[in-house]
Amino acid sequence: MKRYILKNRFTLLLTVLVAYMVVLVTEGAITGRKAQFVDFENPFFDLNVNNIEALMNRGESRDDVRVNVRENFR
Amino acid sequence: MDKFAVLQFYALLKREFLEHRNLFLGAPAVLAFLILVAAVWVASQVDSAIIVEGLEYLAVLFDGLSPFDMAPFFLLLSIPFMMTLYVCCLIYLVNTLFQDRKEMSVLFWQSMPVSNFQTVLAKLVTVIVVAPIFYVAIIFCLYLVAIIWLAILGFTNGVAIAGIGWMFLAALASLILIYFSSFIASLWLFPTLGWLLLFSAFARKTPLLWAGGVFILVGFLESFLFGSEYLANWVQSRATNPNQYLIFDLQTIVARLFNYDMFFGIAIGSILVAGAVYMRRFID
Amino acid sequence: MSNIVEARALEKSYGSFKALDCVDLTIPSGAISGLIGPNGAGKTTTLKSLIGLCDVEGELCVAGRDPRVARHKLMEDVCFIADVGILPKWLKVSHVIDYVEAVHPRFDRKKAEKFLSTTEIPANKRIKNLSKGMVTQLHLAIVMAIEVQLLVLDEPTLGLDIIYRKEFYDRLLNDYYDGNRTIIISTHQVEEVEALLSHLIFINKGKIVLNASMSDLADTYTEVLVDADQLVQADSLNPIHIRELLGKKSYTFEGVARPQLESLGELHTPSVADLFVAKMREDKHG
Repeated sequence: MKRYILKNRFTLLLTVLVAYMVVLVTEGAITGRKAQFVDFENPFFDLNVNNIEALMNRGESRDDVRVNVRENFR
Repeated sequence: MDKFAVLQFYALLKREFLEHRNLFLGAPAVLAFLILVAAVWVASQVDSAIIVEGLEYLAVLFDGLSPFDMAPFFLLLSIPFMMTLYVCCLIYLVNTLFQDRKEMSVLFWQSMPVSNFQTVLAKLVTVIVVAPIFYVAIIFCLYLVAIIWLAILGFTNGVAIAGIGWMFLAALASLILIYFSSFIASLWLFPTLGWLLLFSAFARKTPLLWAGGVFILVGFLESFLFGSEYLANWVQSRATNPNQYLIFDLQTIVARLFNYDMFFGIAIGSILVAGAVYMRRFID
Repeated sequence: MSNIVEARALEKSYGSFKALDCVDLTIPSGAISGLIGPNGAGKTTTLKSLIGLCDVEGELCVAGRDPRVARHKLMEDVCFIADVGILPKWLKVSHVIDYVEAVHPRFDRKKAEKFLSTTEIPANKRIKNLSKGMVTQLHLAIVMAIEVQLLVLDEPTLGLDIIYRKEFYDRLLNDYYDGNRTIIISTHQVEEVEALLSHLIFINKGKIVLNASMSDLADTYTEVLVDADQLVQADSLNPIHIRELLGKKSYTFEGVARPQLESLGELHTPSVADLFVAKMREDKHG
């Protein structure tokens, strides 16, 4: 078997790609995989908008700004 | 693991660095230089009143805050470097098992008692572990220069930047986050690393075309043979959400490293890497 | 292990071109074997297969290992210099030495530096800025500093001028060869290596045409400057090659006992070059 797989670069490539696809498709079928955005928490992107608002409302006192910014970063 | 094996592997890593110094050191250095030049030019164009206002804002912003809370700000600033790193790693992986066959030096490398597995592993470690170190170092230099410049600006404009110390700590903290962002991103994209290495080892010419062309072909074949689109799904889920590639706090690192999707990605990437290792015997 | 190389029925094809056609090869330990053949005969393919750089079919055992299975382990006992400049062009001389030192357990840095000190190779220059002769000098200096059982040289002096060529073989014999190490050299410049060989292998069109020790040659091959009146007699003994020499005909015989030939004319052992031509031509007629 090894002799046929390693006969030349093309047989090897084919074997690897077939193995790869079989595993991929099998796993997808078993786990019912769909394209999904992996939902990891990303505070910063929400934060960005708030940050700009905080920036724009900077007219308030220094302490307020600090508190705002701190909360948004948490 | 005996000392000789460690020294041997270190020599392999050193070879990768020496061979691709432009990608790992040159590219980020040039980028840092360009950013610095651009910043200085912008600052020279801007009214000094606005500079003072900006400095006053910055002075307040960082004062007394925990470095790790502020680090994400610096992380976002490093995005151009992260993108440069990804592109350079891509170029590196596509060429690395191809170039030495093209210029015949593969006969020298293979006449040394280094196994194909060690060779390919060294290239993976270079991308996942080593390359980000150099980029982080250059980013650190850039941040250092920027903070010193800000301090000087503050001093000459009479703005006391109380938060400079905190800013510096936040910048340092961000370096850890930048490094881990890259480390985790490389592991997350492990199948891609394997794919590029496989075709780098396989192709007699134009490895990038082979890698891209076969990828599209395999995608079509999958829907034709199995009626499924798992490959396309995988690509979509890993390539389209930038959220996944930025680490903002240390707790996320563990969550990102130890989950099923990560493990499975590494598992199927390993099939491709094994293919690249065996493919190395076809050097003619 | 008395034979450092044992190969049987090696086959290798590139598409429809048969590079190796049922090659059987044994090389004893301590031999200096010359693998001689015209261009395209299969010399490089044979040598590369011995060190696992070329996948071949058949049975192959080099220094006790199968090169196709455990190349990197075999490389601790075998060294290789190729005809093309294979040292990486972008590396500095000192980096190459650092690399080999870290990677090869049997490399002696001091020895390599001693060999290099007799050359004019600067440590800080990149390989691409060295002349071809210097690159070969460097590669040889490195290889000679490694304790290996077998040294495989694939046309190592190709394209070098005569000073480098002479120095190469001098160093090889004087500084390196100790009677225990085996050297296999492939070349198509027969005269150059003739004097240092202990064994001779001829290869043509992927087939081994001759594999003998130099001492056996005299017993097997005889060249006769045949007298004019003995030509018919000479023809009847099946010479493998006939050529004109100084107005007379020179016949080369294989496996014919000397006493039988004594009456035909002047006898002597053919030179390797003449024997080579004779064997190559024999293929054409035979």
